[in-house]
Amino acid sequence: MSRTAPHAPDGLALVRYAAQTESALCAQDEAWAASGWTRRRFLSGLGMAGVAALGSQLVTTRVAYGASTAGTRNTLITVFLRGAADGLRILVPASAALGVDYLHGVRAALVPPSTGLISLPGTGGWALNAAMRPLYDLLWNTGELAFVPAVASPSVSRSHFQSQQMLERGGSAAASTGWLDRVLVELGPGTTFRAVAAGSAAPAALAGNQPALVLDSLAGFTFPGWAGIRPQAEAAIRTLYRGQAGTLGQDVPTTLTALSTAAKARAALGVRNGAVYPGGNFSAALKDVAALLRAEVGLQVATVDVGGWDTHTQEAVNLDAHLTSAAGSLAAFMKDLGPTRRQRVTVLVVTEFGRRVAINGSGGTDHGHGSVAWLLGGGVVGKAVHGSWQQLSDGVLDHGDVPALNSPFDVMGELAQKRLGVGSLATIFPGHSFAALGVARTV
Amino acid sequence: MTRIWPSIPQAMANARRTAHAPLGWDPVNHVLSRLAFGPTVATRHYVSVNGVSAWYRQQVAAGAAYSGYRGSPAVAVCGPLLSKTSVQVVALKNSGAVHEWDSTGQLCRVTLGLQAWSAAQMYETLVDFFSNHLNVTSSHDVWTTRHTYDRDVIRKHAFGSFTEMLLASARHPSMLTYLNLAQSTKQSVNENYGRELLELHTVGMIYSEDDVTNAAKILTGRTIGTDYRYVYDANKHWVGGVSVLGFTHANDTAAGGEAAADALIRYLATHPATAQHLAQKMCLRYVSDNPSAALVSALAQAYLDSGTRIEPMLHTMLRSDEFWQSRGQKVRRPTENLIATIRALGTRPASMDKALRTMEWSARAMGHAPLEWTAPTGYPDVAAAWRSSSTLVTEWTMHIALADSWWDGFARLNKTSLYGRTPHTSGEAITLLTRRLVGMTYSATHNAALQHMLGEPASTPMAKSRLQALIGPMIAVILDSPHHALR
Repeated sequence: MSRTAPHAPDGLALVRYAAQTESALCAQDEAWAASGWTRRRFLSGLGMAGVAALGSQLVTTRVAYGASTAGTRNTLITVFLRGAADGLRILVPASAALGVDYLHGVRAALVPPSTGLISLPGTGGWALNAAMRPLYDLLWNTGELAFVPAVASPSVSRSHFQSQQMLERGGSAAASTGWLDRVLVELGPGTTFRAVAAGSAAPAALAGNQPALVLDSLAGFTFPGWAGIRPQAEAAIRTLYRGQAGTLGQDVPTTLTALSTAAKARAALGVRNGAVYPGGNFSAALKDVAALLRAEVGLQVATVDVGGWDTHTQEAVNLDAHLTSAAGSLAAFMKDLGPTRRQRVTVLVVTEFGRRVAINGSGGTDHGHGSVAWLLGGGVVGKAVHGSWQQLSDGVLDHGDVPALNSPFDVMGELAQKRLGVGSLATIFPGHSFAALGVARTV
Repeated sequence: MTRIWPSIPQAMANARRTAHAPLGWDPVNHVLSRLAFGPTVATRHYVSVNGVSAWYRQQVAAGAAYSGYRGSPAVAVCGPLLSKTSVQVVALKNSGAVHEWDSTGQLCRVTLGLQAWSAAQMYETLVDFFSNHLNVTSSHDVWTTRHTYDRDVIRKHAFGSFTEMLLASARHPSMLTYLNLAQSTKQSVNENYGRELLELHTVGMIYSEDDVTNAAKILTGRTIGTDYRYVYDANKHWVGGVSVLGFTHANDTAAGGEAAADALIRYLATHPATAQHLAQKMCLRYVSDNPSAALVSALAQAYLDSGTRIEPMLHTMLRSDEFWQSRGQKVRRPTENLIATIRALGTRPASMDKALRTMEWSARAMGHAPLEWTAPTGYPDVAAAWRSSSTLVTEWTMHIALADSWWDGFARLNKTSLYGRTPHTSGEAITLLTRRLVGMTYSATHNAALQHMLGEPASTPMAKSRLQALIGPMIAVILDSPHHALR
C-alpha cells in the first residue's frame, strides 16, 4: 500500500529543489512585473478558487444529507472475497439437523473438529470457524453480526469471472452498470467521496456514470513537487480535460477535487479505540475507510476486495490463513470505528460462489455454488443466521454443490433500502422479484 | 462498416481522417502507440520516412531476429537467471548466490526494459498480450519455473502459431502448478485448469459444466517430475470416452492419454469460438474498447485461414479502415503510460539495473507490474477497469519525477534539448514541447491553459519567460494532458 518511493528525492532535496525554483521565480517576477501579471495576484486568485471549491463541496454534502429524501447518513461497505470462498468452512452446519454427518462423509478433512468451532447459540447448530473469533467476540452478543448461508446468484455458472460480473452488475452480466452505481443514481447527488473503491481499480459494482473515487492509499493520495505552482498546474490539468469525452473527462476533475478533501481527511488517519489491525492490504484499505468515515466526507458506499479464496489445493491451511486475516481486519475496523459510529456503518461480505461440497484430490475444493454472506455493524438483525437452509444430502445438492437457497440480491436490496434509504429496487436488480429476508432494520 | 483493404496503404488512404479528440489524424504516431509502446524520436522519423508498411515488415523481421530477450542487450544482461534452467536457478538459490525472488523479479524488470527499449516493439506488444491471455501470475508460487514459461512458451511462439503456444502451455510446469493440473489425477480430478482452458484460453463462455468435467478428465496425467520437468504419468490418467464441445475421443488407454488431450487442445485452438475470442481480445488491445463485430470477425477469419498463426491477425487489422480511424480511442493503462513517457522523453538509463528497479517499483505502485495480475484472466484491457484517482495522481507524479530527474538509475534529462531549436518566445517554446512530447500542436484553448499555468502571455520573450524555471512542471503537465493519456 505504501507509495514511498525508494528513489524519490528525500525531504531535504525536495526543499532545496523548491527553494531553487522559488528564487528563480522571484527573479522572473521582477523582470516581468511590467507585463501587468503578478505572481502574487495569480496565486491568491487561485487560492480563492480553491476555497470556493471546497465550500461548494460542503454545500453539496448538505444537499445530499438534507434535501434528498432518500438520503440517510449511513454507509454501506461491501467486501468482496474474490476467488469463491468456501462458505461451508466459514459458517459450518455443525449439527445433524443441518447435515454435518454428510459433510464428514464427503469432506472430512475440511470439517473443523468441534473443539475448533465457535457454536452460535440459538441458531439450530451453526458454528463459526475459529478464525472468526475476533468478530464473534466483538459483535455477536451486541447483535451486530449475522450470516446468510446458501447464497448464490441465480446463474448456473461456476466461472469466477461470469459469476462476479453477475453479482456486481445485479443479476444481469449484460447490464452496462453496476448495482452500486444504480444505488447512487437512486440516492441523488452527493459529495466527491460518496462512493469509494479501496484498491487499484474500480469494481464492476461501481461501473457506470456515477463518479466513484478509486483510492489505494489515503496517505499516498497527494500531488508532490511542483515548485510552488501546484494550484496553477492543477488548474491547467482541469482545463486540458474540460469537455473530454470518456472516463478521463469524469475522473480527472473528480480526482482534482478530491485531493483537497483527502488532505483534510488524512487528519483522521490513525487507529482509535485500541483496535489492532493484523496488517496486509485489507487492513490498510479498512484503515483508510475508517479515516474517511471519521472525517465525515459523505461516504455512502465503499467497496473493498480481498483475494486468495480460490482454494483448489490445501484448503484447510490456506482458507484458515486468509480467514484469520480477513476476520481480524474486519474486527479491528469495527473496533476502530467504535460502538457509536458503527451504528451508521453496515458491512456486507460476499463472494462469487461457494465450493464443491466434496473435497478434491489436492486437499481442496473445486468450484461450487452456494456460499455464505456476512453482515456486520449498524442496523443488522444480529445474533442470527438468516434465510433458508436444507439438511445436506445427495438429493439436496445441486450438481454436488450447496444449492442457491437465498438470493444475494435480496440481501443487497434489503440493505440498500433499510440502511441507505433507497426506494424502489426495480432498476437496481432488474427482473428480480425482491423478498426481504429480514436481515436489517430501518434507520 | 468496417472494410478490409488489400494493403495497409490502401486502408490508410481510404480511412476517414478522424480521431478521438483532442488527438488528431496521425497514422505515424497512431501505429507507434498501438503496435509499439509509444513513439520515440527515432521511430517517428523512421515511419515518417519509410512508411507504415516498411515499418511493419521491419518489425515482423525484428520479432524473429530479436526473439527472446535479444531486443535490447543492455536490458537482457539485467536478467541473467532468465537463460537458466529451473535446476540451475534452484542450485544458485541453494548456494546463496541468488534469492528466491530474483527470478521473478528479473523477469518483471527485463519485461519492462524491453517494452521501453527493445528494437522489436511489435513483438513485445504480442508478448505482453499473450502473457496475459495465458496468464501465469509471476509470484513466489512459481519462482522455479515462471521464467522458462516466459521464454519457452510465450516468447517462443508470440510470432508463431497459437496452437503451438497453447500446446506448450499445457505441458509447462508453471501453468500446471498455477492452475493445479499437476495435482489432478484419475482418482480425484482437479477442474481448475480444464475450466480455464475452455473459458479463458480458448472458446470462452460457451461451455457446459459437463464440458469442464470431461476436459479435466482427459487432461489428467500431466504433472511435474524430477528436475521441475513436465512429465506425463499414465498411471494418473483417467481412461474413458470424453466429449467436449463437439470433440469426442475414446481415450481408451492410459498410455494414449497425453496424445488424446493434445487432440482436444488442437481442436479447441482451431474452434471458431476460439478465433472469435482471441480476435475480440486483440481488437480490445490494439483498436478500441468497442471494436466492431465485423473487424473481430475479419481477424478471426485470418486466424483460422492461416492455421492459427498470430501475425496475420495483426496484418488484417492494419488493413482495416477501423484501425486507422481509432486514434485516441484507448486510454493508456498505468504501465503503458510509464513506458510511453520514458520513450517520449527519450530518458536514458544511467544504470540500467537501477533504472529497471525504479520502473518496477513505479509499475507496482500503480497496480500494473508486468505478469503479476493474480487472476488467470490477465490484466484487463479496457479503460473502465482501470479508473482510479490514486493511479491518476501517481501517473502525474511519475511525469514530474521523470521530467525533473528525481529517480535513481536515469541519466539527468536535458530538458531544454526537448525544444529541438532555440525558441524565441514562451508560446513558441510550448509549441515545440508539445510537438516533441506528444507529436502535435495544441488547440488555442489548451495552449492558453499552459500559458496560464506559467502566468505569462505567449509573446513573452524566452529571456524573461518563467519557463526557464518551470520547464519541468511544463513538461509534466503536457504529459498529464489527454494528448498523452490516450493512445
